[in-house]
Amino acid sequence: MMERIPRMFAALALGTALLAAAAPAFAQDVFPPNKPDSTELINHMNVPGDITKGLFWNGKTITFHGEAIGEVMVRGDYAWIHLNDDAYMLENVEEGAELQGYNSGMAVWIPAALTKQIDTYGDYQHEGSIVEVQGVFNGACKEHGGDMDIHATALQMLRPGHVVVDPVPPWKAALAVGLSALAVLLFWLERKYRHVIRPNRGV
Amino acid sequence: MIVRPRLDDHLVIGKYTGKVIVGVGLLMIIPLAVSLGFSEWDTAVDFVISIAACLIFGSGTQLFCRTEKDMNWSHGLAVASGAWVWATALGCLPHYLSGHAGSYLDALFDVMSGYTTTGLYLLQDLDHIANGLNMWRHLLTYAGGQGIVVVALTFLFKGTSGAYKLYVGEGKDERLLPNVVQTARAIWLVSLTWLGVGTLALTATGLYLGQSPVRAFFHGMWVFMGAWSTGGFAPQSFNTFWFHSLTYEVVCIVVMIAGSFNFALHWAMWTGDRKEIRKNIETISMFVTLTLTTLIATFWLAKANVYPDAMSLFRKVFYQIVSGHTTTGFSTIYARAFVTQWGPVGLVAATIAMAIGASACSTGGGIKGIRMGIISKAVLQDIRRMISPESALISQKYHHIRNVWLDDGLVRTTLTITVAYVTLYGVATVVGVLCGFPLDQAAFEAVSAASNTGLSCGITTPAMPAVMKVTYILAMWLGRLEFMSVFALGGYLWSVVRGR
Repeated sequence: MMERIPRMFAALALGTALLAAAAPAFAQDVFPPNKPDSTELINHMNVPGDITKGLFWNGKTITFHGEAIGEVMVRGDYAWIHLNDDAYMLENVEEGAELQGYNSGMAVWIPAALTKQIDTYGDYQHEGSIVEVQGVFNGACKEHGGDMDIHATALQMLRPGHVVVDPVPPWKAALAVGLSALAVLLFWLERKYRHVIRPNRGV
Repeated sequence: MIVRPRLDDHLVIGKYTGKVIVGVGLLMIIPLAVSLGFSEWDTAVDFVISIAACLIFGSGTQLFCRTEKDMNWSHGLAVASGAWVWATALGCLPHYLSGHAGSYLDALFDVMSGYTTTGLYLLQDLDHIANGLNMWRHLLTYAGGQGIVVVALTFLFKGTSGAYKLYVGEGKDERLLPNVVQTARAIWLVSLTWLGVGTLALTATGLYLGQSPVRAFFHGMWVFMGAWSTGGFAPQSFNTFWFHSLTYEVVCIVVMIAGSFNFALHWAMWTGDRKEIRKNIETISMFVTLTLTTLIATFWLAKANVYPDAMSLFRKVFYQIVSGHTTTGFSTIYARAFVTQWGPVGLVAATIAMAIGASACSTGGGIKGIRMGIISKAVLQDIRRMISPESALISQKYHHIRNVWLDDGLVRTTLTITVAYVTLYGVATVVGVLCGFPLDQAAFEAVSAASNTGLSCGITTPAMPAVMKVTYILAMWLGRLEFMSVFALGGYLWSVVRGR
């Protein structure tokens, strides 16, 4: 038994090391970049340099994943959701993500029943569910007044959403108390001495 | 000889600037309450810090600048333009403390954009910002639309004789009522009535479109503020594209156009003169230029076959062009779509619409409809002079609340301001080109900033060179205050340095 303990430790260490090494790859495997991503859909819709040659991705079936943001807006049997595939899809600024530019995403028109799988929509206090949809990309949708959208027929949950806590840093609380005290003091002094006017004089 | 200002001159400017900044601090109580209501504690603390900073500055300057001296014109103009600088420097603290601004400069950019009702923004991860910060973004554009000095005039000033100088310094010169403080209150009466009706309409539409009651209300209020103030901020990064609704777009168009109207026109309508809207030179001018720019863009996009049918084409073109012409900046297309879908002619049509802009004494920016109308009338007058006998007396008048005879002095003043705008557009465009952007896109973005519109073709990003951010901040400030008060502030500072 005693002989086995070093082996068990060795196996445990090896397993931990393998898991640690595999973790980033696992994360990347789960959420590979969209092909095409929203930026490509927006920026390279047309044959480069010629606006008249039609939309490059228009009418093609694509697979697209992103963070469900804001809310679902149900309209009859269908619903609008918005999926952001930007730098804040996995972690938002409140959770410590570095600033990496604007949000970017796609509007998705989808059967309302499918949206029930989405448990959280992203906002200040939530990181939304990450879902994948399959559907037809429309550069200018005839059904929706020329909107750029994806008409999805399938949805798959990739990662549930979660609550985000944004605690108040102690330095900020202390600064707020200190400045408030000074503001009250100055406000009181200004009221008290408002009518005590210094005599006119030049520079 | 330039006369150096005396101590009393500094005191009077400090005193009134302090009053305006106290007003800005008090305005932040509203987003603070929203943050507390949504349990956004970190954001709430950001607002406590910012309110305290405004009160320290405001009370401090009033304490150290006690004087009974009244304002003269140069004081009024310097206070108006200076107050905007301080209100921006302190009003951007919530943005900066939120962690969503890449730098203090980015935060300054956003708040100047808000006050000037431009609508360009550099905040990052907008879709995850707090409700309190969203409230502040939209509130400052709503207050900026009426004019932050008008806010202070309404609530903090008690009939000072210098108030009119402040009011004019903020780019407004219409007296709706004999007393300027009453005029400021009349502007607020009109704005608050529209706020109630517009928010109700957009909230009801939002509910119908599937939003929850709380989101429908806040989005309705914020989108109204963005539309009425011709600011163009929206709570989501998708802007008004978020709603995917013709009804929502129609309500927005009505509010945008109403927001772009002269407050004097609103007041005339308010007091029963309904014919004014058909006779006013500004509404006629806007109708003509809006129709022309819409036709140009529609013709080009129809030729390019970008949109699938006539209805989609008209819906997209009319919304973006109205948004540009009223200097609002709402959009239902992605920013880069102006380049990738609309192409050079579409860009130019939108740029012309933005350059002309809204009405004078409104929440909007740009050269203004009244100036376009006066210049057109002056050109017609000259043509008539050319084809008439030398002895003929050719006179021309226009209608704006009352009939006004066109004289050379008025035309010269109009042309001076118009040339100043065109120069500003040109300088900001050149800066964009020097930073490596194509001419048509640089012009679109520069005109958007200087006319306080806020439509973007994708040039304005947090990664934009700092020199462009500074240029756009100055362009927004100059464009909103219509140059004179900023020049007066510059003259004041020059006289401090070089005066005797």
